[in-house]
Amino acid sequence: MTFSDEVLMAYADGELAGPERSAVERAMHEDPAVAEAIARHRQLRGDVFAAFADVLDEPVPVPLRQAVQPKVAGLEAARVARSGQGTRAQGDWWRWGGMAASLVVGILVGIGGWQAYRQDGGTASLVAAAGGVLAQGKLADALSRELAGSPAADASVRIGVTFQARDGNYCRSFALAGAAGLACREGDAWRVAVLQQQAPAAQPAYRQAGVAMPPAVLEAIDERIAGTALDAAGERAARERGWRR
Amino acid sequence: MTLDTDIADLLPRMRRFARALTYHREDADDLVQVAVERALVRQRQWEPGTRLDSWIFRIVKNAWVDEVRSRMRRDRIFAPAEEGATVGDDSAATDQQRLAIRKAIGMLSEEHRLVVALVLVDGMPYKEAAEVLEIPIGTLTSRLARAREALQGLLSDQAKVGK
Repeated sequence: MTFSDEVLMAYADGELAGPERSAVERAMHEDPAVAEAIARHRQLRGDVFAAFADVLDEPVPVPLRQAVQPKVAGLEAARVARSGQGTRAQGDWWRWGGMAASLVVGILVGIGGWQAYRQDGGTASLVAAAGGVLAQGKLADALSRELAGSPAADASVRIGVTFQARDGNYCRSFALAGAAGLACREGDAWRVAVLQQQAPAAQPAYRQAGVAMPPAVLEAIDERIAGTALDAAGERAARERGWRR
Repeated sequence: MTLDTDIADLLPRMRRFARALTYHREDADDLVQVAVERALVRQRQWEPGTRLDSWIFRIVKNAWVDEVRSRMRRDRIFAPAEEGATVGDDSAATDQQRLAIRKAIGMLSEEHRLVVALVLVDGMPYKEAAEVLEIPIGTLTSRLARAREALQGLLSDQAKVGK
């Protein structure tokens, strides 16, 4: 019985099973040419494997490791850069929240955050769009309608601060069950710039105490804000303009 | 965000696969970077329960195909000598052997290089390799057989030139 080179190759690669495998093994013992062909395939396989084996032992370059978590790394870099600039403008505009000790469970940014959060249930929904994540449903409604100072009694989304970003668009921080984030107006939609999870233990307090903004959200605000946050009148006026500049 | 962690775990294998495809270390890492970014953007397309490595390698492969096209436009030339400086400090003979093989793989056609990189360099089973390449397994087998033949030919040519 003769075998094609492909079959011998498949045998050498460990791809044959059952009777086909046994038949090749028999032939290998009876026919030196078959044995030689298989040995040649195995040799090449071993040589090629060995030629690249050391790559696995190389340390993975930092930029590649960061590429797996690009946003988080960027945030760290921003933090480091800012800490070098001396005193940070910790205006009291964001300190209105009563709960300082919110435990950060994980930073949810961009698509990753959207995906993780969506599983949380129907409170608010986000939808992935080209290049980012847009608020939908209750979150979008709250961002468009709610005022920070006078939340609806049954609000599942609480608005934090409202401000104009350097590009002129309005941004608003928000909190909802288990997470807080920042969204900026883009056309008729709210693009979620950052979303950070908070420990469930922090939730009962926020209804009374307002919203403590987790570090990632503060960073995101710092990066964007031009001037100071809007006061109640400014917020109302911006809403009446439909969040247009 | 466990998918991130799983992708991070695959980075060494992705780098090795990319190294076999691109020959140059920097190009290989660029390719992995592009693939990781694509994977993160498209992570919803991955179906949990299926092999993450096949999915990721398919993204690397597609990124490579795109990259090759743009590289051909840039008309970049293949310059094998440069890799010599980055090979480890093994014995000269082992180095030469490795270099010869890497160089020969660099001279294969794209089609052949891809099957060699998947099956021989990464050690992927035929079935998964066919999935990555999005071809039937029979096509993979015949392509792999021809790629090996081409590789043997290149290596014996190199041996003749070397003597």
